[in-house]
Parts: sequence; structure tokens; C-alpha cells
Amino acid sequence: MGEIATAAVEDRRGAQGRGRRLGPDSRTGRHGQDGRRRRRTRFPWYAYLALTPLFATLALFAYYPAASGIWHSFYEWRPGFDSPFVGLGNYATMMADDLWWKSFRNLGFIFVFGVTIAWALPLLAAELIISLDSKRAQFTFRTLLIAPMAFPGVVTVLLWAAMYEPGNGVINRVLRGTGLGFLAQNWVGDPKYALLSLLFIGFPFVAGLPFLVFLTTLQNVSAEIFEAAELDGCGRLRRLVAIDLPLMTGQLKLLVFLATIGVLQYGFAAYLLTGGGPDNATQVPVLRMLGVAFQGSQWGYAAALSTTLFAMTIALSVVIVFVRRRGDADVRPL
Amino acid sequence: MSVRSRRHRRRRQAAIKAVLSLIVFVGLFPFLFMAVTSFKTNQQYYESWWLPTLPLHLENYTRAWTQVRPYFVTSVVVAAAAIVGALVLCTVAAFVFARYRFFGRNVLFGLVAALLMVPGIASLIPMFVLMRDLGLLNTRVVLVIPHLVGGAVLGTLLMKTFVEQLPQELFDAARVDGAGGPRLFVSIALPLSLPVVGTIALVTVIGVWNDFFWPLLTVTENELRTVSAGLQFFQTQNATEYGPLFAGYAIASIPLLVLFVFLSKYFLAGLQGGLPGAGGNK
Repeated sequence: MGEIATAAVEDRRGAQGRGRRLGPDSRTGRHGQDGRRRRRTRFPWYAYLALTPLFATLALFAYYPAASGIWHSFYEWRPGFDSPFVGLGNYATMMADDLWWKSFRNLGFIFVFGVTIAWALPLLAAELIISLDSKRAQFTFRTLLIAPMAFPGVVTVLLWAAMYEPGNGVINRVLRGTGLGFLAQNWVGDPKYALLSLLFIGFPFVAGLPFLVFLTTLQNVSAEIFEAAELDGCGRLRRLVAIDLPLMTGQLKLLVFLATIGVLQYGFAAYLLTGGGPDNATQVPVLRMLGVAFQGSQWGYAAALSTTLFAMTIALSVVIVFVRRRGDADVRPL
Repeated sequence: MSVRSRRHRRRRQAAIKAVLSLIVFVGLFPFLFMAVTSFKTNQQYYESWWLPTLPLHLENYTRAWTQVRPYFVTSVVVAAAAIVGALVLCTVAAFVFARYRFFGRNVLFGLVAALLMVPGIASLIPMFVLMRDLGLLNTRVVLVIPHLVGGAVLGTLLMKTFVEQLPQELFDAARVDGAGGPRLFVSIALPLSLPVVGTIALVTVIGVWNDFFWPLLTVTENELRTVSAGLQFFQTQNATEYGPLFAGYAIASIPLLVLFVFLSKYFLAGLQGGLPGAGGNK
């Protein structure tokens, strides 16, 4: 049967050589087959046959839905019935959709919070961990700090919902019990605090990708650099600003892009905790899209919204790939 | 090092540990609270809402289990089906991509890799309509499909990289012994790729366990809900009884927790997109 390509060897030679070498002819000489073999080599039907199941599945459940969503965003999509073409009508509706744009304002807030406050504590925790002398203590604390990642996201959100409860919730009880009762709030029910409450889910935010990235980067810095800094009388804070952060720039850039893409898909915590309310204070694009589709049954409009989100994500993903090429970051954008 | 500086150092270490312990405690507090409360009756909860109380009410767990069990079963079935399906699709494809050369190989592989950029949430609407057209709503099949597709895409990428790195001599030797393509796949590539297979399985389990919107929208029959979507329903039913409610949350957390304890490194890699060594380990 077919030829095992020396693909591994080939690929290590780098990208330039690859395109050319793919031609079936480049290989026939190497294996020295008879004529029958050579014909098979020209048309390696077995390779295509082996790929058919994968591509059939992807075509139906990945490419088709994506294409269908884009296509139907130009229609007044009524699944099962006639769908009149409306051109850019859905997009025009979107431009005038205050709720949609308000949801992006919330998203902006979520993003800014995410890359500042929600990264400060993981950075602190990572710095503290690498300052520990004992490897064992480092490992123990690292494991305990990321343990919350092992709980299903829904459980985390529902537990926080219980903690935010105005009457029996832990937070208000603690406040009342310590004489700070005047600070007790209807956390998720008050438009003023709802978004902030949503964002504080998972406090102190250490169980997550940023922490792991910070920690790995710091652990990979050679000890000599830190020793040299110490000999020069470089304090802890100075070291953070002068050495640690600059060393992390590549990873930080990547994390920012990942956070941007992640935030576009933000939704399930808001759905569970507030449902987008109160008074749309926690409305986010994903919830708006689902609302338009499932409560409003405006499928074409929902498709336009999802196409917009899709386009934004793709645009940002391309940027990531670009950054990844140059940077030496060891995290895969997903 | 002088005695004084050593003492200073030890004190500093203790301070660091104290701060870290505080962060750990705050981070784990909701889960500790869940564990403590899950053994209480409402009365115990109101009397002493933050301290553990005796007797432990284990019946909270039996009660919660009867409600959560169907979600549990569905999640396990869905995860198993998605893993098997994804592996069937991706192992063969990855082997072909890694070890054969044919016209259009790079383009086809690019087509698969590009799907990594398509966010699940963006094709949710058309995907839902497609499932409705296919008459698959309210079945377990509809729950499997996105994870099968996602697992197959990720699996193809991971597997291809892995199989490419296997030494060519292995394949040459088998070929000299007369092994054909299928044999090379089954006897060499597949057994050696078990670590990748494990990673794909783990990624899929985590994905199924955490998936929320898809099962919420496509399945309305209670018995067919997965854990994440089921918990929301469970929450509305038990909102006033804290013991069983938190026991249900605890039960739903057990599988991922067990995986985390035993496969920590791979688990983290799974959460980060399926690459062991993608930041999770040192």
C-alpha cells in the first residue's frame, strides 16, 4: 500500500521546502516501486478515503453551520418557512440596537476589570510562590491555588449566587455580624452593583490561565538574573517592575488577546447569576443574541449578531496567530 | 550567611506562607462552605451557618443523588460517546496527515486547523436550527455532536504533531516486514499515541461537564439534561433547602475533582486547550 512519507524529517527542514515537496513525484524514486505502485502514488485515494469521515463530519457540523449563519444573516430567517431576503437589513437593525451596544459597553468594563484587578492577585500569588525556598511548599500552594479550576463552572457560579443572597447570603451575614451591616446590599439585584458582583465571582481569581502563565514564566527565569539583581540591591518591587514584567511582555500580550477573545464569548455566568438584568445592567452580547433568537424568534437577526461576534473573534484570532509567530509564548490560543 | 539574616529569611518565608494561605482560603472558601453546609439541615444552617454541626445529615446526599443521577448518567454517556466518536475520526486522519503526503495535504490540514478559531458560541444559532431540522432536539445525540466535532478537531491537531515526531525507523522497519498502511496505524502509531488519546479524552470530559448553553437550549426533557444544565434546574427546585442543594453541587463536582487529583498536569493542560506542557507544568 501507500508510501509512508518522511514527513517528520521533511517538516523539520522548515516551511519553505514543504510546499514543493508534497508532489507525489518527489517520492517515487526514493522507494523504487514498480509501475503499479507509481500510479497509486499519483492518486493516493486511500489517503483521501481515510480523511473522508472526518471531513464529512466537519462539513455537516462545522462548516455548514458557520456558512449557514453568515448566509442567513441577510435573510429574515424563519426556519421551516419562506425566508425573505432583507440584505443588510439585519445589520441596520443591529446598528440601531441600543441594547446590543450597551452590552458591548458592559463587555468593555468586564475586559478592563479582567486584565487589571483580576490579574493583579494572580501576579502577586505567582511572585509569592517563586519566593518560597522549598520546592515542596511551592508545589503545595500552587496546587491549592488552582484547585478551584477543578470545580464545574456552574457550581462555582451557583455557590457565589448563594453567597450574594441578600438575606441569608454569606457576604451580607458577615457584614452584619462584624458591625458593617450598613454595607450589606442586594448585590445582584441592584443595577449599581450587579455587574461588579458578577465580576467578583471567583475572587481572588488565582485559579486560571493568567496565574499559570505568570508562574511558569517566573519559574523559567534563570536564577542568576535574580541573584544578580539581589546583589545589586534590587528590592522586590523594583525587581517586579524592572525585570519580571519586562520578561513577561510576550506572555502578557498573548494573555491580553486571549482575554479579548474570551470576553466576546462571555455569557454563562451572567445568564446564571443575573440573566442580564437588573435593568440590563449585566447584559452581554451572547445573552442578547440568545434572547433575540429564543425569546424573540428573530433568527435572521440573531444570525447577524452571531456573525458579527464571529467576525470579531476571527479578526482577533488572526492577530493572535501573528503575535504568536513572533513571540515565544507557550500557550495555545483556544 | 549570618544567623540574623537567616532568621530574617525564615521570618520572611513564614510571612509569604501566611499571605498565600490567606489567598488559598479565600479562593476555596465557597467550596468549603458547600462541603460544610451539605451535611446540615436547614435548622442547623440557621443556627450555626458557618461552623460544622453534628450530627452529619448524610441523607442530604442520598436525596440529592436521586435528583442529580440522571444528569450524571447523561453526562457520562455523552462524554463517552463523544470521546469514542472523536477518536475514531481524528486518529486515522491525524495519522494520514502526519505520515502520508498527497496533493492538498496542507490545504486540508489548514481547513481543520482553522476550525480552532471558530468560537462555539458564534455558530450556536445556525447549529441549533440545523439540529432542529434534523429532528435531533431532545436527544442525547444532539448533546454529543459539538463535543465530538471539537474533540476531532483538537485531536487531529495534537495527534498529527505527535505522530510526526515518532521516529521514521519504526515505520520503515515494519514496512520491511511487510506491514501496510492500516497495520502501521493500528500496531505502531495508535499504541504509541495513547498519551494524546488520554489528553483528548480528558479535554472532552471537562468540556462536557462545563458546557452550559448548548444542553440548556437543545434539551428540555429533564432526564436528558447534562450536569451543568441540570444543576440550574436542580437549583430552582431546591432553592429553599440548603443541605440537599449543596450536596447536589458537591456530587456534581466529584468527577472533575477526581480527575484533577489524579491527573493534575493533564487536567490543567485540558483546561488550557489540550496541550500537556502548555503552561501547566514546570
